[in-house]
Amino acid sequence: MVLDKLGSALKSGIKKISNAIFVDKKLIDGIIKDIQKSLIEADVNIELVFALSQKIKKLAYDETIKGIDKKEQLVKLIHDEITLLLGKEKQLKLPKKASLMFLGLYGAGKTTTIAKLGFYYAKRGRKVALLGLDTQRPAAMDQLEQLAKQTNLQAFIDKKEKDPLKIIKQYSKDLEKYDLVLIDTAGRDGLNKELIKEIEKLDKRLKPDYRILVMPADVGQTAKTQAEEFQKALSIDGVIVTRMDGTSKGGGALTACAETKAPVFFIGVGEQIHEIETFNPESFIQRLLGMGDLQALLEHVKSATDEKQTKRIEERLQEGKFTLLDLYSQLEQMNKMGSMDKLIGMIPGMSAAKVPKNVLAKQESKMKHWKNAISSMTEDEIENPEILEKQTSRIQRVSKGSGTTTTEIRELLKQYKMLKEMMGMQSGLAEGKIDQKMMQKMAKKFRGKVKF
Amino acid sequence: MFGALKEKLKKWITKNKEGDLDIKGHDEKKVDKSPKKQLSKKKKVKKSKVLEKQKDELEQSLEETINTPSEEKGFFIKFKKRLTEEKFEELFEELEIILLQNNVAYESVESIKKSLAEKLIGKNLKEVDLAEELKNAIESILINPPDFIKTIKDSLEIKSPFVIVFAGINGSGKTTTIAKVANYLQKNKLSVSLAAADTFRAASIEQIQQHADNLKIHLTKKDYGSDPASVGFDAITHAKKNKIDVVLIDTAGRMQNKDTLMKEIEKIVRITKPDMKIFLGESITGNDATEQAKAFNESTDITGIILSKSDIDEKGGTAISVSQATGKPILFLGTGQKYEDLEVFDKKKMIEKLGL
Repeated sequence: MVLDKLGSALKSGIKKISNAIFVDKKLIDGIIKDIQKSLIEADVNIELVFALSQKIKKLAYDETIKGIDKKEQLVKLIHDEITLLLGKEKQLKLPKKASLMFLGLYGAGKTTTIAKLGFYYAKRGRKVALLGLDTQRPAAMDQLEQLAKQTNLQAFIDKKEKDPLKIIKQYSKDLEKYDLVLIDTAGRDGLNKELIKEIEKLDKRLKPDYRILVMPADVGQTAKTQAEEFQKALSIDGVIVTRMDGTSKGGGALTACAETKAPVFFIGVGEQIHEIETFNPESFIQRLLGMGDLQALLEHVKSATDEKQTKRIEERLQEGKFTLLDLYSQLEQMNKMGSMDKLIGMIPGMSAAKVPKNVLAKQESKMKHWKNAISSMTEDEIENPEILEKQTSRIQRVSKGSGTTTTEIRELLKQYKMLKEMMGMQSGLAEGKIDQKMMQKMAKKFRGKVKF
Repeated sequence: MFGALKEKLKKWITKNKEGDLDIKGHDEKKVDKSPKKQLSKKKKVKKSKVLEKQKDELEQSLEETINTPSEEKGFFIKFKKRLTEEKFEELFEELEIILLQNNVAYESVESIKKSLAEKLIGKNLKEVDLAEELKNAIESILINPPDFIKTIKDSLEIKSPFVIVFAGINGSGKTTTIAKVANYLQKNKLSVSLAAADTFRAASIEQIQQHADNLKIHLTKKDYGSDPASVGFDAITHAKKNKIDVVLIDTAGRMQNKDTLMKEIEKIVRITKPDMKIFLGESITGNDATEQAKAFNESTDITGIILSKSDIDEKGGTAISVSQATGKPILFLGTGQKYEDLEVFDKKKMIEKLGL
């Protein structure tokens, strides 16, 4: 689907924000990078991409907004900005009698689109005529004629005349009998002054109610320049984006339209005559994110952020109390942020490259065993794991009860002790005041002691 | 083509050379600031105010990152003027934007980044010649096409006719380009005939017929809806009988993700056994250029690429993208609406055009 990669990048970004304990710089930078990459791959204009990144950064780094508020605002910001990139929905509301002139680059699909649109409106009760003014490309007139025949529409063409103005004159009386006239013009480069002059002349003579730019979905960073040039010359009323059925993401065409304030009325989605659809940015985004609307999205953030849990840990940390369950829930929440290797990559001075891959996988399976072990403990043992070390028979009991080895349980206890020790230094963490140096210090300690 | 990219690349290179100077010492910094200001002034003429702001921020951050280490670490940096990974990331970030803005696909940018990183990280900053390295990176992606006419003439000594199939997505300009290639071959004293194997699109046969009439060459055609492979086969049979050197087969435009259509082109290739398979791409295509070129390369193992509509935009990134994606040479560039508007792709010229 169009922009599907962007959709998954956005989804995973939002998920990461939702699940994170602390919204810190590293997390935000990672998310921004992902979103940037997918937007760029979708051909969205680079300047727009960076403007969006700046906005996200500004909000994310704002120290005055904290916790769940920040998360909500971030998600809302991403949602709104992406919707904005695609422009507002505007339906093409035709008056009883209307004429539409189509223009665009060579091979954009103007003639095919005209036939599709003619068919679309004829089915909705309009009396449609197609007027062929592409006197440049060989057999353009034949193409329109054949398509008209296929769709049972009336085509007005002249295969010999080379001057479009004369063709207009020739048919102006006939065309008055129709309530929708779709005008085909020759393909042109928006930067070519001569061709632009020509279309301006046609525009003056025809005075169409709508000027429609036809643009292919796979057009890249050129989209903006072309849209702008056509907009400057003629003031485009709307755009039809073609070839939306390819693998291209349509980002270039769609955002260029939004930027030039020309709404996308239709998208072409196939080679068949009926394959044309109206375009609604809002529902498009919803499909992209796989969520109903912004409200649902925010609900998701709230549910993923276990506020009570986070608060409990924060309180515990401040009190200096810390149980095995806290350890576990913290490790688990960290896991939600991504796999272990990603997590380790987030700690400065501890790059994932330094830890062999299979070790990380082992660590993850170890987490499962620990969970089982903790479930086999008494409340007293969970609250004060120190008693386990004093009475080793307890360890044996737990190991038998949970199907884990005593080594694993000892390891868990070691982790616990280490983390508890770290808590002492990082009471600042709870307030989100942790800085680079502190993290590095922690990492050093962590690296020295942790044994996978 | 490539004009805009050239200008930007030049700016990037000179700017980062200035950046190198910054690290060398504090004294030079003051002298350095004026040319930088001039640079941003130059940009002001070209870009709108909003963009300018962003650019300024970017420049500022770049300046900061270049300046801070020299201020903070002072003499320490003197012993360690090597390009670190982080520094490289910073330097490349801007180049990345320039390349992306000029329509180079993300994937290709990553590949350039990788090859530059391998060469530059850990090197002494003084020894690094950015222009040279960038030139090498782009040079290694672009491929010089073999002599088109010579290839055909050599092959004709063994077998005849020489068959070329053209494929690409809808509206990329296959028919127009075929007419241009036919004209080019005729100018080089080779006889040509055409095959109207696009039996799907409305008036496609009329379109190629007009070109055949204009160029006074034979066109093999059948009814709409008939098997395109059989049209190609008939054209080859006709060429054999009439001792025609080259057969150009026009096929219908097809989206690279439509399986049945891609199977159809495979069948055309299987039946006609072409000596050359050309993928037609558009210079204006963005990131999808990579996908398109790859898909056609996978299904038909293309011989080369022609990029149409090169006259439309100053950006030239698509040339880099498709070369990188397929590892196949670009044969020609389509540069206009007339028959003569077909330019042989010249890697050297292209790199010169980039100002490298």
